[in-house]
Amino acid sequence: MSTEITLLVNGERRAVPVDDDDLLLDVLRGLGHTSVREGCGVGACGACTVLADGHSVSSCLARAVRYDGAALTTADGLPADDDVVEEFVAARAMQCGYCIPGFVLMTHELLAENPDAGEAEIDAHLEGNICRCGTYLEIRTACVNAARRRREAAHTEKESA
Amino acid sequence: MTIDSRSAVSAGVADRGSAAFEGRAVGESWGRVAARSKVRGELQHAADEALRPCLDVVVTRSTRPHAEILGVDAARAKAVDGVVDVVTGADLHALLGDAIFTGPAFADQPCLAVGKVRYVGEPVAAVIARGRAAARAGAEEVAVDYRELDPVHDVDAAVRGAPFVHDELRPSVVFGDLAHLRGIRDTNVNYEYVLRHGDPVEPPPGSVTVSDEFWCPPTHHVPIELPFTAAWRDGDRLEILSTTQTPSYVRQSVADLLGLPLASVRVRTAPLGGSFGAKMYDRLEPLAAALAWTRRTAVRIAVSREEAFLLTTRHGAAVTGSMTADADGNIVAADADVRYDTGAYADVGPRITAKSGMVASGPYRIAQAHVRSRCVYTNKPSAGPFRGFGVPQVTWSHESLVDELARARGEDPAAFRRRNLLREGDVSVVGTPMHSADFVGCLDAVTAALDWESPLERPTGRYRRGRGVAVGIKAVLTPTISNAVLQLNQDGSATLLISTVDMGQGSDTIMAQIAAEPLCLPEGAVRVVAADTDVTPYDTITAGSRSTYHSGNAVRRAAEAMRDKLIEIAAARFGVAATDVKITGDGLVSTQTQQKASIPELLHAHFGARGTTLTTEADFRTTWQPYDKRTGRSPQVTEHWFAGAAAAQLTVDTATGRVHVEHLAIAGDVGRAINPALVEQQLTGAAIMGVGHALFDQLVFDEGQIVNGTLLDYQLPSIHDVPDRITPIVVENPHRTGPYGAKGVGETTIIPLAPAIANAVRDAIGIRFTRLPLTSERILDALAAQEEPS
Repeated sequence: MSTEITLLVNGERRAVPVDDDDLLLDVLRGLGHTSVREGCGVGACGACTVLADGHSVSSCLARAVRYDGAALTTADGLPADDDVVEEFVAARAMQCGYCIPGFVLMTHELLAENPDAGEAEIDAHLEGNICRCGTYLEIRTACVNAARRRREAAHTEKESA
Repeated sequence: MTIDSRSAVSAGVADRGSAAFEGRAVGESWGRVAARSKVRGELQHAADEALRPCLDVVVTRSTRPHAEILGVDAARAKAVDGVVDVVTGADLHALLGDAIFTGPAFADQPCLAVGKVRYVGEPVAAVIARGRAAARAGAEEVAVDYRELDPVHDVDAAVRGAPFVHDELRPSVVFGDLAHLRGIRDTNVNYEYVLRHGDPVEPPPGSVTVSDEFWCPPTHHVPIELPFTAAWRDGDRLEILSTTQTPSYVRQSVADLLGLPLASVRVRTAPLGGSFGAKMYDRLEPLAAALAWTRRTAVRIAVSREEAFLLTTRHGAAVTGSMTADADGNIVAADADVRYDTGAYADVGPRITAKSGMVASGPYRIAQAHVRSRCVYTNKPSAGPFRGFGVPQVTWSHESLVDELARARGEDPAAFRRRNLLREGDVSVVGTPMHSADFVGCLDAVTAALDWESPLERPTGRYRRGRGVAVGIKAVLTPTISNAVLQLNQDGSATLLISTVDMGQGSDTIMAQIAAEPLCLPEGAVRVVAADTDVTPYDTITAGSRSTYHSGNAVRRAAEAMRDKLIEIAAARFGVAATDVKITGDGLVSTQTQQKASIPELLHAHFGARGTTLTTEADFRTTWQPYDKRTGRSPQVTEHWFAGAAAAQLTVDTATGRVHVEHLAIAGDVGRAINPALVEQQLTGAAIMGVGHALFDQLVFDEGQIVNGTLLDYQLPSIHDVPDRITPIVVENPHRTGPYGAKGVGETTIIPLAPAIANAVRDAIGIRFTRLPLTSERILDALAAQEEPS
């Protein structure tokens, strides 16, 4: 059955007709968000990760119809000066880069929940994402540095308040 | 939890900034090309591109490992809403004849089965439909009538005789040296390489011999980007967009398949989301091309992860090996009998069999060596190239044996290796001399990083600690060809046309640096065009760690020719001899008159227009001397050698059987690092992949069927599997003909990785494992067996 749903994708309101079985992955790719990628189709690699109302979702397992009204974030829609993106670039946290958007969004989710996350929390949060090029050390460094940047920014905000 | 910076670099590094290097590009860790768009996911991969409307293709796969196809009933499939057509192997064979049998070494693989199926998962019929869902639904409805044949799943059973996977051998036309195999019947052995070096002699008194039987299971590459191919007719031409490492090969293969001139086939690539050997030679392209051409339609094949597991695998390999050392601790004899399980289709297995056979006794000075290496058909998915090209499988054997030999002599395994390793100028058992392959330097670097000489703290309780080391050798693919076309734009930027495919190894960055060096161009000035056979010139393949050396040399030559052209133009403008003109970061300068002109000024004046281009081109080819059929030896079997080493310190939890790697040091002699940061990422990334192969990564088969072919079941290294500490070490002994001394690096550290870890486990708990991977179950079983009173 086809239903029209409304998705708030990276702040932009999009009305899309979807069938009940349509995956969020395919709907978002159809809207041009090709940073959302199928790697396994079973929620086991993290390449299709998006944030829905701030929470990470494996879009390859998510039926789009359930996300009517949700605010969705994809890596390509992050602000130009996104702090996590900056730290991934600075740490050289990419080789082929295919899986990296998923790691970036997982990092956002973690730091929103816990800006004090250390290496153990970072590893626990990123354990479901696979980087076959083996860029994990750089990814961890990027995540640690993004957390530090987040804490420093919060501190500066407090000082100036 | 750190990556150490370059903690050791051997002597012999060419001075940076010396007269030989004009620019400031080579040796610098320029940022990876497209870094930010990769992080944001904006980089377009093949399946991300907006294409003309395509029909989707999903294949119906064989449910039998070995069977005759009695009939295919597509009636129900054709009735599925959205299904446009159903095509069988018999249909394509009627149209295209035996050309539908393709492959890089043997032309034995049809894109859809003809007459017989040879593995569970083989494509039998292609369903063409509007939308992937309809194509999938249709593929479910195709009914195939089989008459089952006896299958053969085990490599050694297949060596012994019937049943035979193929009625006769069908070598392709690509390699002339395989022609004598054509038509041979009643065998599953499609290729045999034999190495005979020295005369067998009785082991001298006081010598020690070790021997064992080793097994490496098949594994899968699992690049996270899934394979994708689209194809369509453009008038009398065929266009293909594909995830491939081998666009030049695919163009030739598709032209042969359809009987088209090369100019009528366009193969375009996009950056790959990883590959590791999975996306090369004939994958989805022959089927997409055959359907698009014969059905005059645009088609797209986007496979699922489960299907990707069936497209190609890494060869499982059995090795029966022995090694003998004399009383003085010199290795005097080595023997290896290698059987590669190539599955139902040979792919490039015969080449893997020969190239790995050459190094099956390791990087050692050995008086007498004998190797027999065979490529064997079985009723399983085809095995093909995988990072390391079969060499990790034989390294698993020789580095385990060398370790046992050292222990049997009561000697330190590193010291024993050091005495026996090949040095610069030494001739290996295959007959080719060593150059720019510093095995000793790599061994010294990794053992120093682990503080090998100091005593190890060895707890006696639940957790046992050990250290292990291993060394690896591999020959670069030879002979091969690379071409480069360089356009210098009037504004001083440059466009580089090569068919090297960036799949994450960083070739776009490396080639930009090599092009920038002679022209003194800054970071970001050189744009590398994605391989497109309409635009970019021939390149043999992007594989086997060959691109930095081969494409790099072509690029360097094109850039040097460009520099010479600029100097000529400037000399005419300045009214001085060309020998008086130098190129600098600011442009061209006359050393005599001090006149200066930037590249934009010079080209604007030269052409009288803005936006113009100046073009140069170059090629680079390597040659070899084919190995002697009887001895397997050749004075020039390869253009150069790769040398690498790994050392691991780890603990084994005797309660759970789990291995915890505390420190992993890896080193590779890369000749010269064009971009040290990218080299370290390749060394480290290959090592992490190797940790998976050592501890858990394997394809599991039951009666020829893959039983763990999903990412829920197939274990890959995650962030938890990364060693506590990794030390990548770049060893640099410039190669005399490498571009700025450079060689490749992509495979170097995966080769010795698994034996380094197994040797450390041996050191920790006293158990020699001969079968990979070292799963916790396998370790617990071995510990239990060790405790049993004998």
